[in-house]
Amino acid sequence: MAIFSQLLIAGIATGAIYALIAVGFALLWQTSETINFAQGEFVMVPGFIILSMMSYFEIGVIPAFLITLPIMLFVFGYLFKKILVEPLIPYGDFPLVIATIGLAIMLKEGAKIIWGANALPFPEVVSDQIIKFSGVRASVADLTTLGIAIVIIIGLQLFLTRTFVGRSMEATAQNPDVARILGIDVDRMVLYTFLFNAGLVTVGALLITPSYLAKFSNGETLGLLAFMAAIVGGFNQVRGALIGGFLIGIIENLGAFYISSGYRTAFPIVLLILVILFKPEGLFGRKEERSI
Amino acid sequence: MDTNTDIILRTHDLIGGYGRTTILHGTSVEVPRAALTTVIGPNGAGKSTLFKALFGMLDIRSGTIDLDGTDITAMNPMQKLQNGMAYVPQGRNIFPQLSVEHNLEFGGVSLRNLPETHRRMERVYEQFPILKERRKTQAGTLSGGEQKMLEIGRAMLLEPKFLLIDEPSIGLSPILVQQTFDLLLKLRDKGVTILMIEQNAKQALSISDYGIVLQQGRLALDGTADDVLNHPEIGRLFLGGVVNVEGDE
Repeated sequence: MAIFSQLLIAGIATGAIYALIAVGFALLWQTSETINFAQGEFVMVPGFIILSMMSYFEIGVIPAFLITLPIMLFVFGYLFKKILVEPLIPYGDFPLVIATIGLAIMLKEGAKIIWGANALPFPEVVSDQIIKFSGVRASVADLTTLGIAIVIIIGLQLFLTRTFVGRSMEATAQNPDVARILGIDVDRMVLYTFLFNAGLVTVGALLITPSYLAKFSNGETLGLLAFMAAIVGGFNQVRGALIGGFLIGIIENLGAFYISSGYRTAFPIVLLILVILFKPEGLFGRKEERSI
Repeated sequence: MDTNTDIILRTHDLIGGYGRTTILHGTSVEVPRAALTTVIGPNGAGKSTLFKALFGMLDIRSGTIDLDGTDITAMNPMQKLQNGMAYVPQGRNIFPQLSVEHNLEFGGVSLRNLPETHRRMERVYEQFPILKERRKTQAGTLSGGEQKMLEIGRAMLLEPKFLLIDEPSIGLSPILVQQTFDLLLKLRDKGVTILMIEQNAKQALSISDYGIVLQQGRLALDGTADDVLNHPEIGRLFLGGVVNVEGDE
């Protein structure tokens, strides 16, 4: 039972990070129909940038993160939208899909050239210890990760539902055509979601890289997991992507321990297949209606 | 139109469409002030496209749109809203997961003034008690008729002088259609100019003041609703001859 609870907490903590990444992914899809197949690389790159900042300025991981964040917002938020997404949007979803796959390859190979092919250690935000309370063991690093992720998720949810700009973003996500008719500045709302996504992946990098280590190929796994989380939970719902992220984190951790760690990456795929078979719109997704 | 009619909106030789497809082939129409005018025409005549052009959502290649003395041809939807035009498109145009209240609030985006928006929401609630009653419920749970009320209420939040409404009756029961038409007439009596597209041309024309007939992206006929309704050619073409079950475009 003690092991179970520790695994569960670890699963929820990793799941929370997947959720952050998946939410960004879902937001991009909702507001601009961008399926960002480079989302995993978007998490891999800031991990390396944080490491470089740490060694270049000889600073801790948090200050390095704070320097990395604005760079990411500009390059992976603003420039990503301006240079890659905006020119391709008029041509439909598919060219954009290919373009983001291309971007993923470029980032991956670029990272290999710049930072090498070896996995580099990445410091935890807090030192890793096991604490016990009433018989439940949990790692401090896991709890911190979970805490940070939950604060961000709640903050994001409050922003999206309680503020007018947030609701305008939600409205743009739910129905950009109607949003435009009402005078909502759809382009600006789309830009905001790109900036949010860049912020979310940077936080994701800060939290996930300690366990994944900084490696050029991290994006493959992470991108796939975010993609699966979004599909499992429901692509067209922020809430869906959140829950999908948590579910995948938990299933991965429990499955790896109780069944076989060799199949760690297989469990989310089984979940994905089940969801696609029985509830293709996702556990919390909305059926999309298309009028002709 | 009769030369004595007070015209609020005039399009001159509009040519436009989507990408390379041209749908409006030199459309010139005139809409009388503070009246209810219904646009009819066969499928693909460009009715909805004309509305999109009027609201700044279409590539207009040439021609002009004049609203009450202002050239609004090149304006975007935001600017049209600020010039007193509102648009209720065909189909479902609410945000189903947001509350009725928050849906209504979006009607005021172009005011850029939240307190004023909230004051006006109270006025809309007076006109639409059902929306007030259900202000906290998810808009997606409203009935089809209530959703249309919400859309019209949302458009009225801006107190527009010119309302474009595309097939308000679609998917509504006959009683709700009647209620929606009654509401539009009430708005007209308050001085709002309404331009409406309707598939059910006969019923729509019977409550309208004027009628406009489009055919292949051009004006085919206009006049008082009675004149249009009683025109022999129109009767044969649109009112009895062909039954349109599909939506426009």
